[in-house]
Amino acid sequence: METIQLDVLKISGAILLIATFGVIARRGFMDWLNAYRLQSVVLAVVTTIIGYVTGIWEIYIAAALTLVIKSLVIPKVLTHVTKSLEIESKTDANPYLSLRTSIIVSAFLVAMSYFLSQQIPFKSDPVVSVFLPVSMAQFFLGLFALVNRRTALSQVVGLLVIENGLFLFTLVLTHGVSLIIEVGIFADILVGIVISSILLFRMSRTFDSLDVDKLENLRDD
Amino acid sequence: MNSLSSNLIVVFLLLTPLVGGILVTFFRKKRIIEIVTISSASLVLIQVFFILSIIINEKTLSAFGNAFYIDSFGAVILLPISIVGFVSVLYSKNYMGRQYHIGLVDDRHIVRYYQGLSIFLLSMLVVPITNNLGVMWVTVEATTLISVLLIMLYFKENAIEAAWKYLIIATVGLSFALIGTVFFYYANITAGSSEDAMNWTGMVHNSKLFDPSLVKIAFVFILVGYGTKAGLAPMHTWLPDAHSEAPTPVSALLSGVLLNCALYGIIRFHIVSSGTLGPAFSNQLLIILGVVSIGIAAASIYFQKDMKRMLAYSSVEHMGIVSLGIGFGGLFGIYGAILQIINHAIAKPLMFFASGTVSQKYETKVMSKIKGIIQVMPITGALFLIGGFALVGMPPFNIFLSEFLVLSSGFQSGQFLVTIIVISFLVITFAVFLRHLIKMTFGNPVTEMKKDDMGKLAIVPMAILASLVIIFGFYIPEQLQTLVHNASSIINGGSMT
Repeated sequence: METIQLDVLKISGAILLIATFGVIARRGFMDWLNAYRLQSVVLAVVTTIIGYVTGIWEIYIAAALTLVIKSLVIPKVLTHVTKSLEIESKTDANPYLSLRTSIIVSAFLVAMSYFLSQQIPFKSDPVVSVFLPVSMAQFFLGLFALVNRRTALSQVVGLLVIENGLFLFTLVLTHGVSLIIEVGIFADILVGIVISSILLFRMSRTFDSLDVDKLENLRDD
Repeated sequence: MNSLSSNLIVVFLLLTPLVGGILVTFFRKKRIIEIVTISSASLVLIQVFFILSIIINEKTLSAFGNAFYIDSFGAVILLPISIVGFVSVLYSKNYMGRQYHIGLVDDRHIVRYYQGLSIFLLSMLVVPITNNLGVMWVTVEATTLISVLLIMLYFKENAIEAAWKYLIIATVGLSFALIGTVFFYYANITAGSSEDAMNWTGMVHNSKLFDPSLVKIAFVFILVGYGTKAGLAPMHTWLPDAHSEAPTPVSALLSGVLLNCALYGIIRFHIVSSGTLGPAFSNQLLIILGVVSIGIAAASIYFQKDMKRMLAYSSVEHMGIVSLGIGFGGLFGIYGAILQIINHAIAKPLMFFASGTVSQKYETKVMSKIKGIIQVMPITGALFLIGGFALVGMPPFNIFLSEFLVLSSGFQSGQFLVTIIVISFLVITFAVFLRHLIKMTFGNPVTEMKKDDMGKLAIVPMAILASLVIIFGFYIPEQLQTLVHNASSIINGGSMT
């Protein structure tokens, strides 16, 4: 592999990581959604680069799907949902940890991803060595965002970031397994988003809040 | 069996519920919807029996190249799906009819409910017959989404809460399973496989060449991922909420069948991992999760006040027993575990149906407010008792036999301490569950109630299940024995088929 290709891979990996941090380092749902949209666009570009490097045409289709579904359709659906929720304060994402602490925790998570991916025996392949830690970092940052936010809406975005990490992880290790599975995964996300939107809508009507701490009727006592 | 006819078998099996679901959308009349769904579910049942008869004779059935692959193990999962699917649809007619009558649901809900039920059945049918482990993941994820829709049918406060927790926890959990699946795939291609490396048959064939440390990590991810969906403790937290808030027929499907589908995924990977590492590694993990599940279930049942939540925790317990049986290994343990899967899938829906009818009659799920079921509804009360006795593992009902096999295999494999701990947990569950059961069944009802069994169609599905519970306690048909035996030898090493 030429050095220039390797450089492109490394730089795009770094940009993707920074875009993922954008989701952590912001307050307010619309900022979040924009950060997610940006991350998805970067992910689509990265996917295209991987497709070019490996020379597998199916990866281009995955890139196109990413661009259309994740950076256009899903943000549109979620924006529509928030608009219909009416009350602005419901969509504010109050993290349990402050933004500063969140950034420090996230940095640790990224370091952990690099450490973990060195422990796992993989054959040396530039695509794997550059993007595997990035994808794991996305996965962990998504998990962190999911448990660190109070509102149900922001949990959905956490789920989406996790899913982006999974997508990159699968792509890097399998080089686009087969189109059926990719399409299946995309369909699952899309339906999942629609269902969670319905739930969010109902939740805000029934509980008059999207705070997941209020969900505590069901327990054993 | 030539390839064309096996392709047709698979196509018809999957088309039946799909067409059923689509037809429901067009007709929109409650009466016709019910007839369509019941006939499609019974067609599925007939086709599954036909497939089973082929598997008993020919051991395997593959269709569309190797994309679909049914062996004896897939068949023993397919059987409960079709049986419980059929009785749930039958019970739905009465249950949803009653909800419709009192105005809890309207026509739109009914259409949505039966659509969801058919598609739910379809997605569960794909899991045990697909050979591609990626497709299996996609369909298990699809079952989550569809069952979330079914749980939140009423948009009641508790149902929304349960659905939300279930959606988030199960989706995050399953993302671990996808990582595990990809690791296994990667181990397969680095071991030199190129053709259909995602197929289970290919993986088992190649498993001796896999990188052992990669397989260890991969199996842990699989166990966490599918374990969440199978309700194994400590990842079970969503289960009591979701199973108790769903409409009763859906609870029966979730508890009796869907949990098995997730366990099926774990066991498939357990077979691959045993090929690489030997069985010791995954067995140990399965035993640990099994014991923790049984323990947590015992503690939760001890403090339980809600009838349906108690049944949900009992599912955690039984999934623990299955996982324990697979972990103990040996032909006995695995045979017992598979029998336990089938027995639990019969007894749990019976119990859910009975308690659903009871809670409709008493208008509560709190156990201390339910008394004298046998006086108010004699037939339902008797069936309720049979189901309860079976669930706690009382002889001569069916679960006694499988639990006995699992526990004796524990002693055989020399795991005395573990087995004794498990037995003490089971004794606690036995005593507490039985006390609740007897308090609810006998005594005098708190308020004066009309003696009424809530309609024949509620009784028929329960009677079918109850007779199976009793029959399987004494006698297991020879064909089923062959099937379970073949499935056990697939899990026990693969070479014996």
